[in-house]
Amino acid sequence: RKEMEDSEFDELIDDWFIESLKTYRDLYVYQLEFPTRVIEWTSGKTICVAGYNKSSKNEILELCLPQKLFAEEKKGLCAERDFKVLHGGFSPDPVSVLKHVPGTRLIVTNDGLTSDLQVWNLGGDDSDVITKVSSVQGSAGSPGGVKMAARISPQPEVLHGCRGGDVRLTQLTTGQTLYQLGKPLEGWLIQSLRDPSLLHFVSNAVFLAACANGDVLTVDTRTSSPPQLAPAPSMPDSDVWWADVSGRGGLIRVSSSGWAAVSDPRGPTGITRRARLAVGTPHRDSRDVNVLWAPALDDIVAVSGFSGAVQIYDTSSWQSEPRDSHPLFEHRGHAVCSQRREGGAVAVNCHLWHPKETRTLVSAAADASLHVWDWIHPSDAR
Amino acid sequence: MPEIKVTPLGAGQDVGRSCIIVSIGGKNIMLDCGMHMGYNDDRRFPDFSYIVQNGRLTDFLDCVIISHFHLDHCGALPYMSEMVGYDGPIYMTHPTKAICPILLEDFRKITVDKKGETNFFTSQMIKDCMKKVIPLNLHQTVQVDDELEIKAYYAGHVLGAAMVHIKVGSESVVYTGDYNMTPDRHLGAAWIDKCRPDILISESTYATTIRDSKRCRERDFLKKVHESIERGGKVLIPVFALGRAQELCILLETFWERMNLKAPIYFSTGLTEKANHYYKLFITWTNQKIRKTFVQRNMFEFKHIKAFDRSYADNPGPMVVFATPGMLHAGQSLQIFKKWAGNEKNMVIMPGYCVQGTIGHKILNGQRKLEMEGRATLDVKLQVEYMSFSAHADAKGIMQLIRMAEPRNMLLVHGEAVKMEFLKGKIEQEFSIDCYMPANGETTTVTTNPKVPVDMSLNLLKREMALGGPLPDPKKPRIMHGTLIMKDNSLKLVSSEQALKELGLNEHQLRFTCRVQLHDPHSDPDTLRRIYTHLKSVLKGYAIQHLPDGTVMVESIVIKVSSSPEEANTKVILLSWSYQDEDLGSFLSTLLKKGLPSGL
Repeated sequence: RKEMEDSEFDELIDDWFIESLKTYRDLYVYQLEFPTRVIEWTSGKTICVAGYNKSSKNEILELCLPQKLFAEEKKGLCAERDFKVLHGGFSPDPVSVLKHVPGTRLIVTNDGLTSDLQVWNLGGDDSDVITKVSSVQGSAGSPGGVKMAARISPQPEVLHGCRGGDVRLTQLTTGQTLYQLGKPLEGWLIQSLRDPSLLHFVSNAVFLAACANGDVLTVDTRTSSPPQLAPAPSMPDSDVWWADVSGRGGLIRVSSSGWAAVSDPRGPTGITRRARLAVGTPHRDSRDVNVLWAPALDDIVAVSGFSGAVQIYDTSSWQSEPRDSHPLFEHRGHAVCSQRREGGAVAVNCHLWHPKETRTLVSAAADASLHVWDWIHPSDAR
Repeated sequence: MPEIKVTPLGAGQDVGRSCIIVSIGGKNIMLDCGMHMGYNDDRRFPDFSYIVQNGRLTDFLDCVIISHFHLDHCGALPYMSEMVGYDGPIYMTHPTKAICPILLEDFRKITVDKKGETNFFTSQMIKDCMKKVIPLNLHQTVQVDDELEIKAYYAGHVLGAAMVHIKVGSESVVYTGDYNMTPDRHLGAAWIDKCRPDILISESTYATTIRDSKRCRERDFLKKVHESIERGGKVLIPVFALGRAQELCILLETFWERMNLKAPIYFSTGLTEKANHYYKLFITWTNQKIRKTFVQRNMFEFKHIKAFDRSYADNPGPMVVFATPGMLHAGQSLQIFKKWAGNEKNMVIMPGYCVQGTIGHKILNGQRKLEMEGRATLDVKLQVEYMSFSAHADAKGIMQLIRMAEPRNMLLVHGEAVKMEFLKGKIEQEFSIDCYMPANGETTTVTTNPKVPVDMSLNLLKREMALGGPLPDPKKPRIMHGTLIMKDNSLKLVSSEQALKELGLNEHQLRFTCRVQLHDPHSDPDTLRRIYTHLKSVLKGYAIQHLPDGTVMVESIVIKVSSSPEEANTKVILLSWSYQDEDLGSFLSTLLKKGLPSGL
């Protein structure tokens, strides 16, 4: 009977792959040794992934994407479809947050249990070993929930916040605190900042903090006046919110029940467009939902974390009155290929857009699968 | 301490030449004898002068083992055996033995007939070389000589690919060749016993890669074929008669069925019979699914795939043709290529590596104008696609194999050590074993700590039991006394009486004597009596006797007292004991040196 089941699964997977001929320009499917919750670009062709096992040593890997993906004119003559492990290191702790400091070989990680940060050097051509450089002590007794944003200005700096509301800007080379969100915090601020979900540099002096309760704060580090508040959109059954402000589409917030709201980040009070996403069952567990604007496309956003799929939505058709929105595209590869596992389909841990290749994404699921895919817009598909 | 030495002679990478020399327990073994396909000069073969300066290889090597039929693993074999000179045994699996000479002959033709090189091995040399081959079956232990034994395991890389376990006494080495840890449409996954070799020697060309799934490679293939067919083009797939061709046919047949495609697929003549022949012969080497389909129906009774006739190439409309040879250097595939090359709607898909100098190699390097025979040039307008279907273990696969075999040391050949520090650290940490990465020509020496089994006589065991104490525990060392007899290649531990009897020897008594000077004003008999009294009080529970002949005996130890007339107060105490009582004897001499207590 097992054999019959196996061949049925094989058929389903074959079906999906054949369908994928029309829906994907490129499709690469990998199986890592250990699942990752983080994917971060370290250059246009390299990514970092890391394990999050609480009871064993974890690996941090810098991988080079397959050459074929980037072979422009002579794509047909390039047969190289494999990932290359460029650098690797061992972390005694799980890695649940990882940020690359742009323009450097530094990455910053956090274990998801405390608010301490670890700083690593990815290494160069002379060695393939990722080594720990230093660490930044977080606030004592904080139960984690760390969110970060990293930049070079002109020294590498990281903006980090954790549950409890401690938000700081730390210079990585010296460990010096450059800025700390004013204390004592006013009551309403404590409420909002109890659990940050996103930190984002808006300009040299201004950053944005999105909070799990849906509030978004704009903080000007030059003044001591309280941050500007954009309150959570009022939507039913929306306890937890995730946000992104990285793309050209403005600020997008997505709630645990699948509501989405887009607004202007400079005046985030007025919500311009709303929709209800087709996410299926509401999000219940402690995993993060990932919502990310496409960096090279207008109004396109990718959402994962609700299920075994990564969904892509076109927000341009959304209006001020919320309506059901259907995904423009759905990457079901992780769920399809993991059907054989016990306990059903697997959840997607994270996904990431390629900074330049317009429709290329990388996504990872709890079964250690890692997919690189270039989807075709339905209107371009035959 | 015994040692195992490993020296890689070849260079790595896809097109490299694999050749590794292993010295184990006094035996020298050559693992693979590959050629480098990227060179035309001396560098193409391994440098055998490295192992023997003038003498013949036969005198140095005990055997040669070939892991699989790819030329980078067997291409230098006729050169080594017929031109350098080796008459000893060459081991390879049945499929490798069948396919290897075909590939060698094909390659010889390209090199000599096409490129006009001399100083290359001849067809006769290939035949003579193959006469020295002894075929291997999977999991069958083969005794090369009285001491050296080898055993082949399934490697899953190509039809007939094997890993090999080499054993001399209790020392052993496993050589993997190329292997694949994930089953595919026509081969199963590599497997090996938990054989705990002293060294596991693995290729490291793919050690730092994470492989794209097989299905995505297939998807890419189907996509390209489909695209070309859709626009009315013709697709040529040059293949080698065995290997990927079968896999790709199964794939296209399924695809045609599902997509309800009508374009004809042809299989070049000769290919079918040859492939059928080999697949029937070596069905046990393929994966379960293929074995099953073969039982149900002939593998090549396809609905959509038909035999090709050369006239079909001029038929209008789309079609797909599988044709030999795989590198477009001659024969049907080249003829069709010439016909179709001028049309940009058409496509050629190269599913594998091509040797330098072949048309296949040229078009894969992007060449668009080809010089043909008779000074004609051929404009290549058709689309060229290169695809790799090779099945190699990646970083994860290497870890899986280590977990399976549990080696005491790991050795990765053909890699850049600086690019693999992380992998080395990973292997050493996870398995607590050493990981070596010798450069080509560099020898790695691993000291082994072989277990030496010894038979113990029942008598000796019974005697040990009679002494009481805890029962023997295999995890705790215990000291036993006995005599070790090394005879007829075996070791026996027996009681000394039995050893004397067996070896026909007389027993000799060995005694130690020692003199202790003592200042004592008493007469000699009084001193002796005082010694007796003293020992009685110190050594409770020992048999101590004062004998009438003027001696004191403690167990086997004899004590006498004498003094010289000149110095009557200086007594000389003579102690004598058998070697069995060495501990007691030296205790007594130390005790008496301290003098006798005054109160006696």
